[in-house]
Amino acid sequence: MRLEGIAGRVALVTGAGQGIGRAIAERLADEGARVAVNDLDAATAEATASAIGGLAVPFDCSDRAAVHAGFARAAAELGTVELAVANHAFMTMAPFLEETDADWERTLRVNLQGALWVVQAAAAGMVAGGYGRIVCIASEWGLSGWPEAAAYTASKGGIVTLVRSACRDLGPRGIAINAIAPGVTATPQLQVDADAAGITYDEMVGVYAKDHPLGRIGRPEDIAATAAFLLSEPAGALVGQVLSPNGGSLT
Amino acid sequence: MGIAVVTGAGSGIGAACVARLQAAGDQVAGIDLRPARCDLGLVADVSDASAVEAAIAQIEAELGPIDRLVTAAGYYERVPLLELDESRVARMIAVHVTGTRNVLRAAIARMAPRRAGAICTIGSELALCGDGDAIHYALCKGAIHALTKTLALELAPSGIRINCVAPGPTDTPLMTTEMRDPAYIASLVLQRLVTPQEIAAAVTFALAVEQHNLVGQVISPNAGAVI
Repeated sequence: MRLEGIAGRVALVTGAGQGIGRAIAERLADEGARVAVNDLDAATAEATASAIGGLAVPFDCSDRAAVHAGFARAAAELGTVELAVANHAFMTMAPFLEETDADWERTLRVNLQGALWVVQAAAAGMVAGGYGRIVCIASEWGLSGWPEAAAYTASKGGIVTLVRSACRDLGPRGIAINAIAPGVTATPQLQVDADAAGITYDEMVGVYAKDHPLGRIGRPEDIAATAAFLLSEPAGALVGQVLSPNGGSLT
Repeated sequence: MGIAVVTGAGSGIGAACVARLQAAGDQVAGIDLRPARCDLGLVADVSDASAVEAAIAQIEAELGPIDRLVTAAGYYERVPLLELDESRVARMIAVHVTGTRNVLRAAIARMAPRRAGAICTIGSELALCGDGDAIHYALCKGAIHALTKTLALELAPSGIRINCVAPGPTDTPLMTTEMRDPAYIASLVLQRLVTPQEIAAAVTFALAVEQHNLVGQVISPNAGAVI
């Protein structure tokens, strides 16, 4: 059964050049949405866009003006963006006392402020029509914490609270905003973990899979399926919630 | 597409789940205190383990192996803490907690050897925030949340997934007049009640085959009652 309320609508997904963002863009296109594909890297945004028949809108999510301009461009070319996903993220890993100021600041600027700018630009466009669905991609680690990932987990925990707070303003206007806190998922970001642990990507996957009740880590399509549901019309009674497809690693 | 079982199938959230599962192509058996409108409506009190076992056995005999299960049977009553007596508390626990367990045991015993099955229990938003007017109800729903999480961890290696949907104030026959008070409704972020269809959408989402990785979660469509 097709999800109600996605076909024919315009979606914008940030950080959709790879990983979870790309899977979400693909899923929304499969459901019949017209998809604007954002990434900081114009080449990967273009690659996803051409694969799904979408529109590449590369911009830097940490730059407020650029985010608003990107949403305006998507609206001008495709129509009002009614489905938005703040998925982009930057991640490094280091022991807390060795984490550099530059990494800390960049992580918060991109992940936390960037999510806020995306929510703001998306909501600004949705208010007039009185309808919208916004999903922010947080992280299971934003709920549980994780060693050697202070900046990343702080930014992701902040995103959860952003969603809980923004929903109070947006809900009465017909805009439902929720978060997804994925468990460990097989994306290029996992290379950061592998590098920090000094092992290969495949070895890292094996380490995480061992600790999962399901015996395997998540796939980008798993997260995309949850995002698609939250972006659908009948999910409208979900506001300010955090859904965590995580294989049972955090319940 | 498959075989689904819904308890409390006769009204409210259970009935909406039946409709949505049928729309998705499932054959749906219902268990309720009266025959429910569905593909196979059986009568059983979920607090009666042998009646539940017989109903589940009959469903598998008549329809085939159960793929999906929704445990929606339940009731609500407001009783002040100091007026709660043994019979009210015992009945609440028997229907909600033991009743859920009875249905889960009968179904899981059949799903486990097949290493396949998806289950959604029905909890409550009131278990997330507490309910001073129905403490016995809230604690039962909290027990269902915890039972769901424990079974999720225990069953994940056997290929059975279990999650919980915790509805907020939903427009069903269980709604009390207090919950229909305009002042209460105005206090909700969405300033409206949740529809049974919205709960059913969350339930079918949690049960969907593609949700391989959704395990032991409590999902709360609650119109912003609890964030």
